[in-house]
Amino acid sequence: MVWQFSWLLLAATVQAASLSLQSPRFTISTPDATQLRSDTLSLTEKPEPLTLGPTDTLKLTFQITESDEGKGVQPHQTFLRFYDKASGEEGIQPVRVTPGGKAKFELNMVRPPASIPPTTHNPLEVSLILGSFVHAPAQYDLFDLYLPASQTPAEHPDEASFHVLPAIKHTFRPEQKSPPQFVSAVFAATVLSPWLVLIGLWSKIGVKVPNLFSLSIIPFTALLGAFEVLLVWYWVDLKLGQVLLYGGILAIPTVFAGKQALYATGEWRAGRK
Amino acid sequence: MRLLSSALVTLLTLTTFSFASSSSVLVVLDPSLDRENYSIFFGGLEKRGYNLTFRAPKDTSPAITDYGVSNYDHVILFAPDTKSYAKDITPQSLVGLLSENTNLLIALSPKQTPLTSLAAEFSLILPPPETPLISHHPARSEPQTTIPVTVSSSSPILTPGIPPVWFTGAPHALGSTPMLVPILRAPAESFAADSTSDDDSDALVTASEKGGEGLWAGSQMGLVTGFQTNVNSRVVFAGGVKMFSDEYATKELPSGGPPGNALFATDVAAWVFQEKLKLRIDAVDHRRVGESEVPKMYTTNDEIVYTAHISAYDSETSTWKPYSGIDDLQLEFTMLDPHIRTSLPPVPGSPGAYQVQFRAPDRHGVFKFVLNWKRKGYSYLESSTTVPVVPPRHDQYPRFLSAAWPYYAGAISTSAGFFLFAALWLAGDVKGERKKGSKVE
Repeated sequence: MVWQFSWLLLAATVQAASLSLQSPRFTISTPDATQLRSDTLSLTEKPEPLTLGPTDTLKLTFQITESDEGKGVQPHQTFLRFYDKASGEEGIQPVRVTPGGKAKFELNMVRPPASIPPTTHNPLEVSLILGSFVHAPAQYDLFDLYLPASQTPAEHPDEASFHVLPAIKHTFRPEQKSPPQFVSAVFAATVLSPWLVLIGLWSKIGVKVPNLFSLSIIPFTALLGAFEVLLVWYWVDLKLGQVLLYGGILAIPTVFAGKQALYATGEWRAGRK
Repeated sequence: MRLLSSALVTLLTLTTFSFASSSSVLVVLDPSLDRENYSIFFGGLEKRGYNLTFRAPKDTSPAITDYGVSNYDHVILFAPDTKSYAKDITPQSLVGLLSENTNLLIALSPKQTPLTSLAAEFSLILPPPETPLISHHPARSEPQTTIPVTVSSSSPILTPGIPPVWFTGAPHALGSTPMLVPILRAPAESFAADSTSDDDSDALVTASEKGGEGLWAGSQMGLVTGFQTNVNSRVVFAGGVKMFSDEYATKELPSGGPPGNALFATDVAAWVFQEKLKLRIDAVDHRRVGESEVPKMYTTNDEIVYTAHISAYDSETSTWKPYSGIDDLQLEFTMLDPHIRTSLPPVPGSPGAYQVQFRAPDRHGVFKFVLNWKRKGYSYLESSTTVPVVPPRHDQYPRFLSAAWPYYAGAISTSAGFFLFAALWLAGDVKGERKKGSKVE
């Protein structure tokens, strides 16, 4: 803004003659020289955006004159500026001007010049910058130009860490599925069913345990029961080390109690007592 | 011997500490530059508490480093045309200073000097020697090489709304490294050329036809560019030294009004001397949800809470203050590759804290919490904490699965059967004939 304002101010004051653009004209043609579009450029209003295909050629011709006398001049700086507003990429292409002020620029998309910035689907704003050591400078916004999208420029390997990176979610394995509890219960009941048979048969024949509370037998039975309780406790809560410790302690009286119980049973069976 | 060396280390630490507190600056000033003409810039630095020491490029004292330790916190090299320096100023020694956390402010010029080759090491591509920046825009009474440059407000380094600054010097193209921090870009209409008349226009076209870097032109060029190293030391390359001068700081703009040179120079110095945009991670903390202690290891599928505490340096009080202004911090949980990358938002109501809760992946191995926040202009924040993630222990699996009920029933049944059998066999009576004279004992 400051620039444009200052040009207006200074074009009138500092330097007498300013540069002006005469008969700017563009032509878009295909490789077989068919003209797709051709028009003169208005300097006050941008035309419809220009679109170039991957093999098309844009031809731009104009003459630079002194605004007062209409004589053609060759300014120091005749630059076409291609600017992508969205990405901020910019390319500057100097244009060769004859001493008579005539200039011709050709943009062949088969071999685009290195000065064309990397393009996306956004248009490039094309403007003409004129500068001179003797004349007041000038700048013209010519048109918007759609070019085929170029390859994205190679990025520095560290560039990614300077931006927000896409979030990554871990995909967890699905939870293990259990069969319905009813099925488990039925099978558990099946496993327990032999007890019914056993108890049924026992009830027919009758079981007698005359020596259950005998002093020789009861300690061993109790210790064996304690082992069973220890194993259930292990399942519910204890760790292996604790089980081995408690089991080791239990084992000592159990050995003697078992020896005693077997001895007593042997005596009974042999009929000695 | 060990006592002596440890005493020496302590002494050195104390020395660096005492320098750090007074923020000493060495100014290497070319004798051709009048110190009085830079009084606004240097005076401003002294007013902000910097302790300036002046020295000509060829002087041997005061030395920048003694025994490999930097004597100054910051170095200003305002000797853009000097081709030979005293022995202690070489591109290598300046890089050494940066790795020692000493910051540099370097002025370049269109002349080829040792500093030009240093700039190339920082991915700045300079135009051929003796091609200063030229702009015919806007029309003005000053020479074409004295250019008012609009200051972009997008850089976090600069105060918003700085008026255009006067510039004379060489532009540079910027390499692709993201460590570069563009501070001032060239105007779109400007270009680097050594011509003085309109007849040289063909030379510009020829230069551009050389391809690639043939013509230095347009707003992609930098005039003042910073670089932040991996150890967070900072260096600024300015294309010309005159922009820091009193002459340019007081020269009226073509559009009228004072230029922004003085403010711009202050902002640039504040950034390069680590007054601004200086952040650090105070602490990171991780634990299982609901626990208060940092565990030695995590189990797969644990819910983890990760907290980072970040502070920013406040130059006015010279203290670190909790800073909650980062809204795009990200945390990665990586084993070779990130398994989880999630945003790490600031915790409302607790300044400086950033927290996220997530579930550990169901993969075991050695994981890292990685915090890697790099943004142009700001200190890099990097943190990595290694934690093992292990599968559940044998007793951490669920113990009462409904699917296993038949097995439980079988095991209990067998156990109970054995007990019952033992009790019956021992306690039961033997029916039928008793053997007589059995040898069973």
